[in-house]
Amino acid sequence: MSDLAGTADLPAVLADVRRGMIPARIYNDAEIFALERERLFAGAWMFLAHESEIPAPGDYVVRRVLTDSFIVVRDETGTVRVLFNMCLHKGMQVCRAELGNASHFRCPYHAWTYRNDGRLAGVPFHAEAYGGDDGFAREGQSLLPAPAVDTYNGLIFACLNADPPALREWLGDFGYYLDLYTRQSQVGIELRGPQRWRIKANWKIGAENFAGDSYHTPHTHASVTDIGLFREHGAGKRKDGALYVAGPGSGSASKLPPGGSFLEQLRYVGYPDEMIVTMAATWSKEQAALVEESGFLVSAATLFPNLSFVHDWPVIDEAGTVAPFISIRQWQPVSERETEVLSWFAVDAAAPEHFKRQSYRAYLMCFGSSGMFEQDDVENWVSITDMAGGSMARRLLLNSRMGLTSEDKPIRPPMAGFSGPGVAYQGFGEFNQRHWLAQWSDCLEASVEATSL
Amino acid sequence: MKPLPYSDELHQAAHQFLVEEAALLDSGDYLGWLELLCDDIKYVMPVRVTTARGAGFDSLPDMGHFDEDLYSLRKRVQRLYTEHAWAEDPPSRTRHFVSNVRTFAFSETELYVESALLLFRSRGDTHEGDLLSAGRTDLLRLTEGGMRLARREVKADESVLRTQNLAVFL
Repeated sequence: MSDLAGTADLPAVLADVRRGMIPARIYNDAEIFALERERLFAGAWMFLAHESEIPAPGDYVVRRVLTDSFIVVRDETGTVRVLFNMCLHKGMQVCRAELGNASHFRCPYHAWTYRNDGRLAGVPFHAEAYGGDDGFAREGQSLLPAPAVDTYNGLIFACLNADPPALREWLGDFGYYLDLYTRQSQVGIELRGPQRWRIKANWKIGAENFAGDSYHTPHTHASVTDIGLFREHGAGKRKDGALYVAGPGSGSASKLPPGGSFLEQLRYVGYPDEMIVTMAATWSKEQAALVEESGFLVSAATLFPNLSFVHDWPVIDEAGTVAPFISIRQWQPVSERETEVLSWFAVDAAAPEHFKRQSYRAYLMCFGSSGMFEQDDVENWVSITDMAGGSMARRLLLNSRMGLTSEDKPIRPPMAGFSGPGVAYQGFGEFNQRHWLAQWSDCLEASVEATSL
Repeated sequence: MKPLPYSDELHQAAHQFLVEEAALLDSGDYLGWLELLCDDIKYVMPVRVTTARGAGFDSLPDMGHFDEDLYSLRKRVQRLYTEHAWAEDPPSRTRHFVSNVRTFAFSETELYVESALLLFRSRGDTHEGDLLSAGRTDLLRLTEGGMRLARREVKADESVLRTQNLAVFL
């Protein structure tokens, strides 16, 4: 257990966080990170992969939940398995590739061999070494499965706690928004990537930023407007945008030009007619209403704790072609001061090939390791992490109260005409970040017993 | 195909082209760098992955760190000249070390050139420097205006990049 949990310090930190005054140290503090591992990540639904990454029997990708490595594999019957990547015998990683196709995984150390559903299939010299099943019964032995696994729209999540709420139930109202990113047709998305890179930044900063920091866009991302990568000016698109909180997630939605129909609005952001027709047929009336009646389209979002989404529509060539893209990204903590970013390009699998190509280019220009938005974000986040590690940062409470009066009332009422579920506000505010931090606080406060295996 | 001997003038010209290009990048002369590119430039950097020896692939077929044409490279360069490109303001100090150059005569007007690149990138005063090691395969075209870059494929030697972004060219 971390030292912090045993001191009077933690309640004070969480009390400050809950009133929107964030102790700067939480963005670079080894004790806080130890608590996050024990209390937050040990009990959270964590994204691992999408089913489209492992379409055929034997296809696998290796992904981590912090330091725990899992093989996410489609077995011979087509079932997706999430297997702890550690041999039952001496603990060697049984799979050291990042992806591939295999009917079996053979440990390099002593050649214990496992079927791709995890079952132990072979132990060399079983009779000579163990006296057969009497010394070691192979029957019933399997690579440890993740304690809980569930999927939504093909997104595969695992939980290190064996008894979490069902994923769909836990997603609650956020499912409405998650569909808009991951279910533009009955077929759903395909994921490409991920690009992976490591940044010297605390993992929470990216998660909070994507949750609803529309306030940073006009300034941090001024350069992409300067060069005409977007038709709209960042400030207007954001100031008139919406921020919503729904279930364990929250996000922002960009304001579309006034008065367009569903078809016109989605044409404006670059979707081809055939995709728009499919979206209209796939989304519920309430989901379509966000575009058609409220005039908003989803932008960035974060599903607690560390999975984020982004949707935008840059100009991708000299001719002025506009193409929308979707990215899914994970802020995978390495330590309190380092994060591995996994950034995928997501596109509707049923989309026409020329659209996929354009959307991919749009993604690369804006987000990912070389994206012109992402570059400037990371510069900020590394700098914050640097500053948060010092002794002065322990005296500083960062003001995260935007949108609240001194009496904790919203400076303007929630939107009345917003079609999505949850609570939405128009304009700038830090409602979403506070919502994210409130969940974070609840996790850190929970007793170890409540989240233990 | 065998590489041209080091004594070949085409090899020497190609090698010099790469060294001059590195000098432009390291001095932050990105507009000068753009002038070295053909109008039909393709500049790609696939994502490298760790796979079993027998897998038959070690990069993702459909995902890169870069997949650029002249439009997108121009936008990236324009951005660096704005007042709001924080990722490179203050600018990194970079050093593009280019070596292991092998030149292959591809046609009358085109050369394939392989090179090794080690990029050192230092940001700020106290951060540890980043190293990015990569192999490059270029198609250089001999034009009336001189040698120009028509294709570049950058193959990073790491699967997980240890630099905070690719706000730099390789």
